[in-house]
Amino acid sequence: MNTKLRRTLVAWALMGPITVVILFPFAVMLVTALKPADEVLQPHWWPRSPQWSNFVAMWDATNFGPALFNSLVVSGFSTLIAVAVSIPAAYALARMPFRGKGAFRQFLLISQMLSPIVLVLGLFQLVVSLGLLDTRLSIVLVYAAFAIAFATWLLQSYFATIPRDLEEAAWVEGASRAKAVRTVFLPLALPAVAVTCIFTFVQAWNEFVLALTLLRSTESYTLPIQIFSLVAGRYTIEWHYVMAAALVATIPVAIVFAAMQRHLVRGLAAGAVK
Amino acid sequence: MNQGSAPRAAAVSPAAAPPRRARPLGGAVAYLLILPAFLLAALIVLWPLATITNISLHDVNRFGQLRGYSGLANFADLWRDPDFIATLWRTAVWTIGVVGGTLILSIPVALVLNRDFYGRGLARIIIMLPWSVSVTMTAVVWRWALNGESGLLNSALRAVGVLDHNVVWLASAATAFPVQIGIGILVSIPFTVTVFLAGLSSVPEDIYEAAALEGASGWQQFRSLTLPMLRPFITLAVVLNVIYVFNSFPIIWVLTQGGPANSTDILVTYLYKLAFRFGQMGQAAGVSIIMFAILLAFTLLYVRLVSRTETPT
Repeated sequence: MNTKLRRTLVAWALMGPITVVILFPFAVMLVTALKPADEVLQPHWWPRSPQWSNFVAMWDATNFGPALFNSLVVSGFSTLIAVAVSIPAAYALARMPFRGKGAFRQFLLISQMLSPIVLVLGLFQLVVSLGLLDTRLSIVLVYAAFAIAFATWLLQSYFATIPRDLEEAAWVEGASRAKAVRTVFLPLALPAVAVTCIFTFVQAWNEFVLALTLLRSTESYTLPIQIFSLVAGRYTIEWHYVMAAALVATIPVAIVFAAMQRHLVRGLAAGAVK
Repeated sequence: MNQGSAPRAAAVSPAAAPPRRARPLGGAVAYLLILPAFLLAALIVLWPLATITNISLHDVNRFGQLRGYSGLANFADLWRDPDFIATLWRTAVWTIGVVGGTLILSIPVALVLNRDFYGRGLARIIIMLPWSVSVTMTAVVWRWALNGESGLLNSALRAVGVLDHNVVWLASAATAFPVQIGIGILVSIPFTVTVFLAGLSSVPEDIYEAAALEGASGWQQFRSLTLPMLRPFITLAVVLNVIYVFNSFPIIWVLTQGGPANSTDILVTYLYKLAFRFGQMGQAAGVSIIMFAILLAFTLLYVRLVSRTETPT
């Protein structure tokens, strides 16, 4: 008890500085978002009269709604596609011997290593030649493709920890391989699938450079690009609206992360040591 | 590990279990299962890679039309470009600075968070917070906080007495670049700590009790027990972070767009400018290929490291 108290003091003393630095941008967001327009450029901390109405005014001023919708659609569909093609691939890697397995792994490693930005020029030409420039479909496909390597790797290392015997028992009882996968294997694999979905979704939710390159009109902008466009190359920046928008865009994801934090650690623990 | 178990299962199954449909079909079914993933990834990764390689070897106009084979002329142009050489070095400083700083901070943070103390749940959530904000948003917020006249960083630092005048942080590379590295570290900590926590959770408690009974000090326990057990996780974190940071675009783009006068450019921002600002498609493709080569060399080094450490065990 007493030692735990001492440990607590030491722990918070060590974590103190880094906690302050981490929370600082959140404080900046909140304080600026609450300032009335004529106080924004004055660098004092406490707004004289907090303007909660900024959050309402921001919605139209920053074109928030459409951008939020685009972000949800793009992240949702790219996650769906990436996970749908990664589950079978991961199952094959974890369970089936086949020629070229090593080559496929190396291919995944290379596509993991090549980030979108390295390929941005080629991706731009690919999207143009498919006639998909400035469409949400273009970034859905590209996000999904770039998520495959990590998703497959995470899934297959978790799949490998699920005992084979359970499926084999189902075969003995006369279930087909497909049925055994559906009724025995997938339910056990669900936590790994959930963690993979979260990583993929957040990756897409936060992506910047491809959206900046492939999306050209405000109607197709995702949130990061929309908010960046309010800041980049403008003479007057309405910082209180920008910060309010950034805060609103952040809170839902922050809540999900706070709730899922334990599962993320566990998912990686299973995935990391393959 | 599972590569070792696969042949064993294959050797056992024909004798033990009836070799019904599952066995002979195994190969074909496996290819069908990996096909969708392979096709999608190949279209989006291999095709652009081929395009870029082709462009880098040609004379190209600003709309990307090839005008004739030019051999390595694009690469020679880059080599003579002092901005490119400076950018190359700056990218090394950026990558080593961010990954090194992240590692130095994340190990102690993970060790603290792995122990039981009051408010640990809250501390974990705070450490994970930057992860939930897109890096672009973080960079936008910092750009505002770093504003010379109205920024809250200056007023906070003046309030606690660190500064006595406003610093215009983003006006010169001397202040902008270190700040950018700092922000890079800040956004890399959550992932890295998560990996280390995952590693620490696999260390059994009782070996510490045994070590403490033997009279090992805290530092000795860390050196001889924790660190060796964490090593695969440290390798993983370093590799993923190096790839990620080397390719990281938003922090520098949002804060300074590589300016003033290209003095905070790293390869990715320089590549973007060459391609979409200056219309130097050939040289931009050249930068892509050079980045690809660097990443490939690093990945091969990693694969070699991993296979060497795995052999003795």
